Amino acid sequence: MSSHSIVESFLTSQGYALFESLGKSEFLIIGACPAWCRDIFELQSRTTKRFRLADNSPFLENFLVDAENYWNSKSERSVSSGNWIERDKSGREIPLEAFALSLDKRKILILRNLSAHFAEQQQWFQTARDSLLAHEQLLSEIQKKEILLHCIVHDLSQPLTAISGCFNLLRLENLPPPAGKYVEAGQRESQRQELMIRGILSAFSGDLIAQQSSDKSGAPPPDLAVCAQQAIEEFSSAFKDKGVSLRFTPPPNATSDWHVVGDAPRLDRIFGNLLENTLRYSPANSTVTIGVEDQGESVLAFVDDEGPGLPPDLPPAQLFALFSKGKSHSGKAGLGLYFCKITVERWGGTIGAETRAQGGARFWFRLPRASEKSYERTPADKHEDSATTVASPPTSPRNQPSKTLRILVTEDTEINRELVSELLTRRGHSVTTAADGIEALAALERNSFDVVLMDEEMPRMNGLDATRAIRKMETATGRHLRIVGFTGNATDEDARRCLNAGMDAFVAKPVRMDKLYQAVESQPEALQQVSQTQSVPDTPVPASTNQPAAEDESVAAHLHRATGGNKTLQRSLVKTFLTDAPKTLSRIRRAIAKKDAQKLAGAAHAFKGSIAIFGAAKAVSMARGLEAMGRSGHLFNAGPQFRALESEFTRIRPELLAIYPPQKHKSKAKRKAKSRRAR
Amino acid sequence: MLQKKICMLGSFSVGKTSLVRRFVESIFSDAYQTSIGVKVDKKVVRVNNQDVTLVLWDIHGEDVYQKIHMSYLRGMSGYLLVIDGTRRQTLEDALALNQRVIQEAGKVPAILVLNKSDLVDKWEIDSARESELAVAGWTILRTSAKTGASVEQVFSQLAAATLAE
Repeated sequence: MSSHSIVESFLTSQGYALFESLGKSEFLIIGACPAWCRDIFELQSRTTKRFRLADNSPFLENFLVDAENYWNSKSERSVSSGNWIERDKSGREIPLEAFALSLDKRKILILRNLSAHFAEQQQWFQTARDSLLAHEQLLSEIQKKEILLHCIVHDLSQPLTAISGCFNLLRLENLPPPAGKYVEAGQRESQRQELMIRGILSAFSGDLIAQQSSDKSGAPPPDLAVCAQQAIEEFSSAFKDKGVSLRFTPPPNATSDWHVVGDAPRLDRIFGNLLENTLRYSPANSTVTIGVEDQGESVLAFVDDEGPGLPPDLPPAQLFALFSKGKSHSGKAGLGLYFCKITVERWGGTIGAETRAQGGARFWFRLPRASEKSYERTPADKHEDSATTVASPPTSPRNQPSKTLRILVTEDTEINRELVSELLTRRGHSVTTAADGIEALAALERNSFDVVLMDEEMPRMNGLDATRAIRKMETATGRHLRIVGFTGNATDEDARRCLNAGMDAFVAKPVRMDKLYQAVESQPEALQQVSQTQSVPDTPVPASTNQPAAEDESVAAHLHRATGGNKTLQRSLVKTFLTDAPKTLSRIRRAIAKKDAQKLAGAAHAFKGSIAIFGAAKAVSMARGLEAMGRSGHLFNAGPQFRALESEFTRIRPELLAIYPPQKHKSKAKRKAKSRRAR
Repeated sequence: MLQKKICMLGSFSVGKTSLVRRFVESIFSDAYQTSIGVKVDKKVVRVNNQDVTLVLWDIHGEDVYQKIHMSYLRGMSGYLLVIDGTRRQTLEDALALNQRVIQEAGKVPAILVLNKSDLVDKWEIDSARESELAVAGWTILRTSAKTGASVEQVFSQLAAATLAE
């Protein structure tokens, strides 16, 4: 056998068929034509050496155009067709690949049967793509949880609007000094709670995104010494109650710079968590000391106590693990120290704990210093601060604005609508209200306004769509109406969404009186700054004295607390709710039946907002679940969830009827009917 | 007989092969088997009282592992841009791919196919997005290779559009 025929035999055994192009789509076989090749391309004659290969293969026909271009070029690299599938006479699928190359000025076409390796290749691609699909699925699940988290945060913020509004109204009264002080304390606490709720969102929502946004937020890095002293101020009364002395050890080099990498709200939480933990283990008449130390490139903060020290059988690192609790289980969920660890490490720092030689425990963390550039204050920064300082005279509640404004308040939750309207009316502004985007657009057609306050989430038409519609109409008139958004979730993403929709600024819920006045009365160019300073507390936050509402609190007790005992307001709220709730439940039922996710989200959101006024934590949670299902578009569990919500509504209905009995409905209805007849 | 080359385009695992199998062979399999390369099938359809042979190029889904040779689009009369309604990203990827297709093959009739309509409970593409795409000029059809919903229709409609060109 000649060496030539050995090569041909080898190529044939490896699944290759070689042809030479004769032009006009004709090919001459080189060596023996493999059986698979005859089968696929229907090359019947065993003696003929000339074939028209592409007559039965549109794919090969297409490739021969590329091959001809290549043969006519002077390119040295061969050209490949990529994989394709042909069927042989029996219908079996054969994977192939074609190559065109030039050898000694001869136009050579090689066909390769890939069957031998195709299963392996297929398996490889299958595994890789299955992994990609699994990854996509995981991301989608995370997104759904993010949506749920946003719903929860939104709900937690919602009652604060009412609480804050009530405090704002109380501040307008001439209260005697002790009462005024209590109102201020209450207001500070509600602001603190608001910050904590946002903290939850920024800490646990999309770790990577939160990290990126915190790194690029432009907020100045925190001063560790200032944060430590604020923590003492915040916790001093709680420590005092337990008979523990809390003090700050001034650093020996008081002129040092204590700015560190991180952000102030989360640094406050780290100090808060460490102090709560320390308080739990500190005996009465002992002292807890907070201090900071200059360590060159980094700064150390520590909390020393005089308690029993660390458990001898527990490695210190274990204390910071997820769901780790002390032996006595005196802590909460085991998240506090874990939060400290992940946050400090995220900022490039370290955290630890040890038993002190002189007794007691030391909890410490070390953070890298912030670069000087990152907190140098420019004149522009200072101007910004002065423009948005909350206590500045123009926004003081008792100072009247320079101009009375016509304001359209668009908000779906009635109690929030009432409170915001009341605040603005007392300020001397003229207020019109709308319950959703459609009503707002109708009001704008009828009347002129200077400012529109627009809730972001509303049924029928949300605030973003309404804003877009207003901006679209303005393209014809050339006017620009100031629109200030309300949003329950004050993240950068929310801000971006509001501003992208065409809003000039947004005010986070719960609305604070001073921020509200500032937003509606500011010049347009200053408006956006209102939103940028939302999470900055006005004053150091004192120790918490407010107790959160108990989950099992009765509807009557909750309503009494929320309305300050105002019976007329209570009856009015119950009446509105009992009239609207069955309709809203019907909307939810219809949306589920029609699998209309968007309508389900809207109706569930409305129900949740209205029932939240009465506490009803279980019903709120169920409605929240339905809303989340609507937002994610996954309705498979919506039916059972809705039935549970209906039962819960039936359960609390008698309590509501006790506040506003049916006969009152009737007598009022009768009075109305009577008055209509009289007219 | 008149022949029209139709390409199936879109990301991996959106159901291009399943749509072709349902249309040509009336078969559907729930097990996902990824495509490598191109498979060409033919089917005769009757459009406006005229028989037309559709030459269906089922082209592998594009991803990080496999890119589409733009030369596959040569002589194409129309294409189906297939999207998995349960995966929002497949829409964005398809729209990016579409830009390259137009650059290579020019404007030819195309239909945006929102496949897996049997899983509409799990869809990530809402009706507002669908409306936006319709406003942008897309002909959109919801299909299910699993149930066969609108599968015949999508091919017939595209065939008619190619004839009208």
